[in-house]
Amino acid sequence: MGIKKFIESVVELLELDEFENSGKKKSLKRLLEKLKARKEILNKAVKKKITKKEKKELKEELAIVTVQIKKAEKILDELNNKKEAKVSKKIKDN
Amino acid sequence: MLRKIFLPSILLVLAYGFWISPNFKEISAGVAIFLFGMIALEEGFKAFSGGMLEKILKKSTDTLYKSIGFGFVATAMMQSSSLVSVLTISFIGAGLIGLAQGIGIIFGANIGTTTGAWLMAGFGLKIHIAQYAMPMLVFGVVLIFQKAKSLKGIGYILAGLGFLFLGIHYMKEGFEAFKDTIDLASFAVPGFKGMMIFIGIGILATVIMQSSHATIVLILAALAVNQITYENAIALVIGANIGTTITAIIGSLSSNIDGKRLAGAHLIFNLITAVIAVLIMDQMISAVAFISDHLGIASDNHTLRLAVFDSLFKIMGVVVFIPFVDTLVSFLQKSIKPGKKEVEEFEGVKYLNDSVLELPTTAMAAIIRETRHLYTNAFEIITHGLNLKRENIVSDMPLEDIVKDPYSNTAIDIDTFYNHRIKGIYGEIIDFSTKAQSQMSPANIEALYAIKLANRDIVEAIKDTKYLQKNLIKYDKNPNQYIKEQYDSIKIGLAELLRNIDLISKMTEEDEIILLLSKAKVHMQQYDILANGTLDKLIRHDLITNEMATSLMNDSAYAYNISKNFIAMAEVIFIDATGDIKNIGEDMLISDEDVDLILNAKET
Repeated sequence: MGIKKFIESVVELLELDEFENSGKKKSLKRLLEKLKARKEILNKAVKKKITKKEKKELKEELAIVTVQIKKAEKILDELNNKKEAKVSKKIKDN
Repeated sequence: MLRKIFLPSILLVLAYGFWISPNFKEISAGVAIFLFGMIALEEGFKAFSGGMLEKILKKSTDTLYKSIGFGFVATAMMQSSSLVSVLTISFIGAGLIGLAQGIGIIFGANIGTTTGAWLMAGFGLKIHIAQYAMPMLVFGVVLIFQKAKSLKGIGYILAGLGFLFLGIHYMKEGFEAFKDTIDLASFAVPGFKGMMIFIGIGILATVIMQSSHATIVLILAALAVNQITYENAIALVIGANIGTTITAIIGSLSSNIDGKRLAGAHLIFNLITAVIAVLIMDQMISAVAFISDHLGIASDNHTLRLAVFDSLFKIMGVVVFIPFVDTLVSFLQKSIKPGKKEVEEFEGVKYLNDSVLELPTTAMAAIIRETRHLYTNAFEIITHGLNLKRENIVSDMPLEDIVKDPYSNTAIDIDTFYNHRIKGIYGEIIDFSTKAQSQMSPANIEALYAIKLANRDIVEAIKDTKYLQKNLIKYDKNPNQYIKEQYDSIKIGLAELLRNIDLISKMTEEDEIILLLSKAKVHMQQYDILANGTLDKLIRHDLITNEMATSLMNDSAYAYNISKNFIAMAEVIFIDATGDIKNIGEDMLISDEDVDLILNAKET
């Protein structure tokens, strides 16, 4: 076994490649929580009696937050799918 | 001249020594192998000092006691206080830590260096240490040849320890054989005079070897075979502690002002500790005897007693100095001032110096901080170039009011500002980056490339401001209300951008950073006056002249470019390397399609 393959096997065995992804997932989940909380606040604020300019600004912020939430959820799904694909490949190999 | 003579003289003296005494050759080889071991150990730790370094430093040096602990652990692990001092100067140079924290690390390193004496006295002299060295060397060298950075690092550490042990073995063997031919102890000088002579020898030996550690190990080896007396050994230890400051002084020559101050602190601390130790020598020796008796160390076991003295002497120094750290910092700030070059009219770099090139991480941190320095200068130039006041931008003042409060009645000369406060720094950043990247991994080089682009973005933004400035002045007092409104709107837009970027530079909450960056990107679209129909409307209704239309079209493009460059720069230099956002920042930044989506959602 070459040294490269050996290192790859150790990395796989210790699931070290998952380490980076799990850090990313944690960060994304935390961000998602914050964004969702912000969206809720913005939704409430838009319904209040405010000036046209303020409403425009809030709507813009809401649109940005909505896009960001979608983006974060998509990345999170991709990371989860990656892990699932790996697990099913392992089961198949075994 | 002296330098040219020094090296050949040393080599000649050594060669003569080797010729007349094979034992001297063995001892010298031991010292050489020991020093080589330290170099290998240093390489090994450098391999592990990647991205985590800044995070660890931040957390472990935020109080004086933590800094001392960090210095102790780092020195105990690396077995070199000189290396820790040089790295600390490098951290200070890169702006990763402050002077007080650096002093704390130096204090800790001084205590940490005692572990070497314990290792040698308690372990190295009792066991056949070379037995452990051999397998370490073999495993170490095998791992050094591997491609993986971490394996290479482990290899260097193992080989380094192996060489340290082997060096100790040769020194011990050399002194044992030496004992039969020459008795160094017969040269021992009693009393105060003897102490001063041996302190001087200790200083000299450490300056030559650039390691107090190696000197102390050499002293212990000589003491173990009674080649020197216990009292002379104590004096040599004190001398070694003064001599070790030379490494930091040499390291600080290429550092910034705080690095020089730290080297000054190191010298003052070690000198005063030595003076105190000499003044209370009798009491110190009694205390060592008292502690040694309680630890069960035999009265004739001088090597372990010397290790006790070494620890007591260094801990005493730190305890005496702890209450005076703030005084020491203010004294150094007053006495070591920046040279003429650092306060001259043409602003220079703050963080880039050769000392931070020690580690890729410190080099990277210094480049990021210098880029932020460049940004701060650019922020001011752009703000004044737009004839706005910096303090208004960074306040809560409504944007519409900001444009009504001009910075000056005459236009500022952007070229002069650029030459004085941007050009030199920018040039040095690019030059330094080229030097730094030779030591960096491909991933670091990629990150460095992004930082270089961020620097270019800053410079481009200033240049675009210069082009924009001309018509801003021209149309500011123009009787045509429509063109004035358009230029005011450009100013308001850029003021908002500058405010948002300033907020981002101070923020830590990732959702807010991402939101502000997205907002800035969305607002950037307002400058596309062709697409949003503004220009069409103004021309169709004959509200502006053709010349005005051309100017407006060009200047909107400049404003768009300023925004684009500043946002791109912020995405690189304000995404905190230690925070959550670094993990996800790049993925969460919005694309042009996302901007369209947001603009459409806004309209509905």
